[in-house]
Amino acid sequence: MLFSLSGPKPSLEALLHRMTDRIRQSLELSEILSATATEVRTFLKIDRVKLYRFEPDGSGEVVAESIQGQRLPSLLGHRFPAEDIPQEARELFLITRQRHIVNVAEQEIGISPLLHPQTQAPLHQDIWFRSVDPCHVEYLTNMGVQSSLVVPVLHEQRLWGLLVAHHSTPRRISPNQLEVVQLVSDQVSVAIAHALLLSQSRLQARHEATVNQVVTLLHKTPTPALQTALTKTVKALSGVGGRLYLNTPGPNPKKQLLITGQQPAHLVPKTTVQSPVTDHQSYPSSAIAVPPLEQLLAWRSWLQSEAPAKPNELLWAIDHLPDSQASPLLKSALQLKNICGILVAQLFYRNQHLGYLTIFRQAIAVETIWAGRLDSTDPRQDRPRQSFETWRELKQGQTQPWASNDIDLAHTLAHHFAQVIYQSRLYCQIQALNTELEGRVTQRTKELQQANTDLKREIAERENTLRQLHLAQDSLNRLSHQNELILESAGEGICGLNAEGQIIFVNPAAAEILGYSREEMLDQLIPHLVDPAKADGTPYPWEHSPIFRTLHEGTHHHISGDLFRKHQGDYFPVEYTSAPIQDQSNILGAVVIFKDITERQIVERLKDEFISVVSHELRTPLTSIRTALGLLANDDLDVAENKRRRMMEIAFSNTNRLVRLVNDILDIERIKLGKVTLRKQACDLAKLIAQAVDEMRAIAEKKSINLVVSSLSINFWVDPDRIIQTLANLLSNAIKFSPPGSTVQITASFYDQEGQDHRQASSTSPLIPRPQPISLPSKSTIESNPKAIIIAVQDQGKGIPENKLETIFDQFEQLHVLDDEHQGGTGLGLAICRSIVQQHGGQIWAESTLDQGSTFFFTLPIYDVTHDQ
Amino acid sequence: MTNKRILIIDDEADIREATQMCLEITGEWEVILASSGYEGLLKAAAEKPDAILLDIMMPGMDGLTTMQKLRENTATSQIPIILLTAKAQSGEQRQFNQLNIAALITKPYDPYSLSDQIAQALAR
Repeated sequence: MLFSLSGPKPSLEALLHRMTDRIRQSLELSEILSATATEVRTFLKIDRVKLYRFEPDGSGEVVAESIQGQRLPSLLGHRFPAEDIPQEARELFLITRQRHIVNVAEQEIGISPLLHPQTQAPLHQDIWFRSVDPCHVEYLTNMGVQSSLVVPVLHEQRLWGLLVAHHSTPRRISPNQLEVVQLVSDQVSVAIAHALLLSQSRLQARHEATVNQVVTLLHKTPTPALQTALTKTVKALSGVGGRLYLNTPGPNPKKQLLITGQQPAHLVPKTTVQSPVTDHQSYPSSAIAVPPLEQLLAWRSWLQSEAPAKPNELLWAIDHLPDSQASPLLKSALQLKNICGILVAQLFYRNQHLGYLTIFRQAIAVETIWAGRLDSTDPRQDRPRQSFETWRELKQGQTQPWASNDIDLAHTLAHHFAQVIYQSRLYCQIQALNTELEGRVTQRTKELQQANTDLKREIAERENTLRQLHLAQDSLNRLSHQNELILESAGEGICGLNAEGQIIFVNPAAAEILGYSREEMLDQLIPHLVDPAKADGTPYPWEHSPIFRTLHEGTHHHISGDLFRKHQGDYFPVEYTSAPIQDQSNILGAVVIFKDITERQIVERLKDEFISVVSHELRTPLTSIRTALGLLANDDLDVAENKRRRMMEIAFSNTNRLVRLVNDILDIERIKLGKVTLRKQACDLAKLIAQAVDEMRAIAEKKSINLVVSSLSINFWVDPDRIIQTLANLLSNAIKFSPPGSTVQITASFYDQEGQDHRQASSTSPLIPRPQPISLPSKSTIESNPKAIIIAVQDQGKGIPENKLETIFDQFEQLHVLDDEHQGGTGLGLAICRSIVQQHGGQIWAESTLDQGSTFFFTLPIYDVTHDQ
Repeated sequence: MTNKRILIIDDEADIREATQMCLEITGEWEVILASSGYEGLLKAAAEKPDAILLDIMMPGMDGLTTMQKLRENTATSQIPIILLTAKAQSGEQRQFNQLNIAALITKPYDPYSLSDQIAQALAR
């Protein structure tokens, strides 16, 4: 054994305590490792103690060292290839925690595993010795080492490194020392864990601080400070440049691409520029003439083909660009700007692809200090190294690899970028929506205000219209009422017809004339109702009737004399007008205004007859007069004297007749017009009768008529001339119509209400009938003098038909009564008599028996003279 | 030369008499008188005058009826008839003109031209 324990055991424990205390004094790993190396070297009293740390590729580096006496060279910072400690050896270090002690001089190696290789069960710390591999011996020898102690340092079940003690001369290591060194190694493991934890905590804190800063920038209001956040991110990730590409416009539409620091060369489309790239450092997005990298198909193809940094994450970390799947174009664009490492995070939030966050790392030259130049002829370094002299290897085009914490940090930051961009975009959309909404609200408000104004105006207009309408309605109602009153009170019948000739309006006069009720007439067809006919009774075919033509041609018609049928079936003459009711050119119906002209026709006929009779009555005496006087006046004519005389008689007689006629006509007209004033005076009835009889006596005698008078002497109050005229008229008629030799009798008597004849008993005047009771002028008069006088003139002529007894008192009625021969009357006598008697308050009538004779009666009231005066 | 004979039928005695004197004096007519339509028919048939002067408006058988009966009788149907009317209204005169008569003379006629009027009517 080369190694042996020196010194008592208590000092070892003190040493161990001191060493562990010192190790624990610091949390900085380099200090701990240096202290460890120094303490172990001091404890073992050995030339050199170093702490060797493995790299992931199996190579290693001396990270702490303590040297004593310059017997061995310093290897601090030197790198050893992985082949120096093969994989199998490293596994034994890890699995069995094997320590070994090499004694070069004795070609012996002591092996002391702590765990069983298969079961991993703890073993006794025995040391088994065997002969050492000659290569190992040669390696140590070339290094200048004669004694070697190697203890593995583990961290989290991985081989962190080795604690190595070298001595330039043979040196024994005792099991106790080995145990102490093992304990120290364990302490180192703990310290490494602490230090790494500290380091990770610091890194974590730094990353969190970075994240906080970036998040603060991103959430800066009113707009996210994307540019600053990008710069911060690039710096935090040790980049030389970076860019933030937004696939759709963000808060500022003009900034689709934000850049900071080093940028790839500008890609130019092949069609415009020969070279695929230009040397533009950066470019404002607003001036982009060529699309950004991120828009290229090559970019997306590259990322699709590249494995992500973490499974299922949209983040790619490329340590060495030349080794990547990027297209040559992309590579050249990046490498031209000395970009070698690239980290791309696709910004994705809530299923929306928002863009890319890209960080660039520059290509750098990496210098590695090797413990001895590697044999390029022996790539696996199978032969032991001949020299461990420092050899500096410089590698260009290297880059700082993306560590997992870098990737985590980038991932976190990318997430925040995505979140903020998404929120910004959302905010922009909301802002846009708000703006649009506000615009619409403003517009709508304007429209509503306008509509409100319009509505108010319209309401005002409508109110005004309504007022006018009410006024018009009131006026219309008044007019309508007036019109209705006019129509209701119109004497003419008025029928309103629709276009088919149906009656839709009828006034009371129309209903009364036609003998219907108004309800019965409504809706009836007028041709069915009145059956219009021509004046001669010929019925009109409806299509030829004037009313039909009005309805179909719109013509006005004024017809007089046509016939309408009454409800009872009688036809009566009408005068009517049919006028169309038109709305512009449309005929809506007609109005038929009609009146019954029966009375008028009678009056006209009477008038015609009157004129005809008057003409005849005047011309008849004139003919005789004219002829007689004409012949007399002509001296050339030889007219015998007797004839001359006769002609003069004829002329005179007819002149008298003419005078009577004219007087009668004038009388009747004056009486009718009320222009005759009775000159009443007290008269004796007997005298008046005698006077009248005297006037008629000559005529009676001429006709051989016997006049019998039965008079009554009584004073009464009359116009004597008019009473004599009446008596003479009646006597004249009686004489005129009596046959020769017959008797005409005039009789006067009292007459009271009971119809009693007080003076003439029925024996003396059998021909005087009892007239109907007469109404006396007034009650007071009757009471004072209740009696009247009745005068009768009786003849024995042919008599008067029953139906003529009343009409003979009409004007010119004589011609209809007489049938045998004309008696030369004017036909006005009886009419004049009736007028005179009625003016005196009496009555006149006639009674007759055919072939026996007629009697004319008239009464005269007996007035108290004093009263009447 | 024998005087022409004319029958005057009129109910007015004065007119008959005056007209007779007028025709006899101014026209040398031989005048036959009738005071009614009935009498006129008898005298016309019996005397067969050259003309008949007939008054229209007469009581009993009026002039138009008389004329109709004169026409119906073959003995008198060819005798020219001059109607004498006192109705001066033009409508009535037109109505009479439509009858088959020699002339229509309105009362009061002109005594100097009456004879000539009748002669001219007969000449037509």
